[in-house]
Amino acid sequence: MSVPEEDVFGLLRAGLAAGAYPRLRGLLAGLRDADLQRAGRLLARLDPAEVLREHPGTPVVKVAVTGHGTLSALVPALTVQAARHGLLLRPHVSAFDSWIFELSDPGSGLYAADGDLTLCVLDPFVVFDEVPVPWGPADVERVLGEKLATLERLVKTFDAAGRGGVLVLNTIPLPRRWSAQLVDLRSRAELGAVWREANARLLRLAGASVAVVDLDPLLAEGVPVTDPRLSAYAKEHLSAELIAGYAREVVHLARGGAGRTKKALVVDLDETLWGGVLSEDGVDGIEIGEGYRGEAFAAFQRVVKQIGSQGVILAVASKNDAEPVAQALRERDGMVLREEDFVRVTANWRPKHENLTELAAALNIGVDSLVFADDSPFECGLVGRQLPDVAVVRLDEEPALHIERLLADGWFDVREVTAEDRARTSRYRDELVRADFREGFTSVDDYLAELDIRVDLAVPSDREVPRVSQLTLRTNQFNLTTHRLQPAEVSAWIADPAGLVLRIASSDRFGENGLVGAVFARWEEKVLRIDNIVLSCRVFSRGIEQTCLAAVLAHARAEGASAVTGDYRATAKNAMVRDFYPRHGFVRLDDGDGSAASFRLDLHASPDADGTGGTEGTGAAGGTGGTGTGGTRATDGTGFPAHVQLTTTLSGVPR
Amino acid sequence: MNDIDDFVTLLRDEIGLPVTAEHAALHLDQVPGWDSVHLLSLLAVLERETGRRIPLPAVLEAPTLGHIYTLAVDG
Repeated sequence: MSVPEEDVFGLLRAGLAAGAYPRLRGLLAGLRDADLQRAGRLLARLDPAEVLREHPGTPVVKVAVTGHGTLSALVPALTVQAARHGLLLRPHVSAFDSWIFELSDPGSGLYAADGDLTLCVLDPFVVFDEVPVPWGPADVERVLGEKLATLERLVKTFDAAGRGGVLVLNTIPLPRRWSAQLVDLRSRAELGAVWREANARLLRLAGASVAVVDLDPLLAEGVPVTDPRLSAYAKEHLSAELIAGYAREVVHLARGGAGRTKKALVVDLDETLWGGVLSEDGVDGIEIGEGYRGEAFAAFQRVVKQIGSQGVILAVASKNDAEPVAQALRERDGMVLREEDFVRVTANWRPKHENLTELAAALNIGVDSLVFADDSPFECGLVGRQLPDVAVVRLDEEPALHIERLLADGWFDVREVTAEDRARTSRYRDELVRADFREGFTSVDDYLAELDIRVDLAVPSDREVPRVSQLTLRTNQFNLTTHRLQPAEVSAWIADPAGLVLRIASSDRFGENGLVGAVFARWEEKVLRIDNIVLSCRVFSRGIEQTCLAAVLAHARAEGASAVTGDYRATAKNAMVRDFYPRHGFVRLDDGDGSAASFRLDLHASPDADGTGGTEGTGAAGGTGGTGTGGTRATDGTGFPAHVQLTTTLSGVPR
Repeated sequence: MNDIDDFVTLLRDEIGLPVTAEHAALHLDQVPGWDSVHLLSLLAVLERETGRRIPLPAVLEAPTLGHIYTLAVDG
């Protein structure tokens, strides 16, 4: 069962955007730049008053705009960026090219607009409109000097007016269309020098009431400065792409001004801070510091550490066992971030949104102050859904892109960093005791229902045998007996007429998970003995394990089995599945020493008569294990979780 | 974009202009919600849709939406 996703354009078309305004933030988060521009054009038509009627608490940012050229793309770009951050833009736009006049006169409409931010958008024509032909670097230097003097005077006027708010200037790009007009390289170099000296002077105007947006880093990303036709015919001198990037930066400033700067960065570990899966690869097996990917992860760790050094609280939320995580952070060579860099390292198997909620409470900050970065679409989706106020940075399997993703939205941008900020992490750390939580799960059924989880259960093909073997060799947590099998042993098991081997493949609406688990069983007359079930820790607690067990039971029943048995053998790492069989209705057969146990489920004629039946689930006791094997989900009466779609070649399984 | 209805759909979806095909013949000043700044984003949208370069000076001088449509499809 999947629910169609809400679409921002659908809401806009239906005239429902004002009513849905608080949700737009989440809906806009995933849009590409071109779609953001389009959404901005449409949202700019929305009357801010209408949004405030529906949602009076929406934080408003007043932005007054002036500048040299036409700025048709600016208000839409600001509007959509504000909405992305849960803010509502109230724009005021001065008449074309009125910046000197408006900023010189404290009685002007620009001042009357009383902007939280007053933008004075500068473009190269501010200078070149006044450079004669023919020209040399000295002419440009003279005009730049005049313009800087004018700006300095306007800044003084702005300060003296004492209106509050911040005047936002920007560096002026130097497009090639001018530098290339100087045919000798020495003059060209001189032009570059005087231009940059002027921009440096401009940047130094930044102060208590003035911010200067440096456009160079935006342009360095390959954004065109200008569209020559729009510049020539419409005096729109800065490209829509550059304006979009500029608006992004401006809204980060506005967000800080509205008290919505994020305070803490919570990161995942596996495939986020290091490569590989700690629970499978071990402390020495994860990728960090060395090798292609290891270096990329180390570079990301350096960025996280750098952010943490400036007053941003760092924390970890990872699905892992606490001890190996502590060991990796303490002992592993190549690790840039160590335990002491984090106020809290939460490594457990609970849903991450619960860990984030508790972290925020412990730090005494709102969850809306958290930024959460994770490579797993499942975890990002779950946090985004359960905690819409948390900013989710969606990473993926390419660590070289982690840095750009993390920094894209300037989550932690502030006007100034104080000494108090810099000391924050150590202060919080002193107050907090690291803990891992092993309490019960809360329901995430709604989320799971929308995930469109699909499971395919089949006998492994020859090509799949190596992966099935690898799953038995590498999986430690969800591995009931830790019976390791080499590929040849897997093949022999498959070939055995009494043997039953099934590989588990899964997918969800985020994509394919691949081969994630396996079931090994053997017929002994009328009893199906399950030797082992393994499942990658990246996918458990989603109902996949329960679906597979229900399928095996249905198959056994159809084949005329009288009972199904299963074993558990304890290891240092698989305590989470100790109760897997009893939770699904199996009865314990022996009173061993606790390190090993056997379970049996007698099958009766009716599917509902055995332990997997009944909509209350099999998992009434699911909370105790704290690791949720999916047993708490509603089932369809045969033990199959209702939210999982199963395909299988296995006989006797209802379809 | 095959006909004036497609063009109107584009105006509604891309620019948010609340127009119908009947507005195509009106002078731009009389088109509800029209502002000259829309021409610039409209140009980019039309060039993306048609894959052609559209003469901007002619678009800037076009008196009606119908004229703009003709320029976009005929050049």
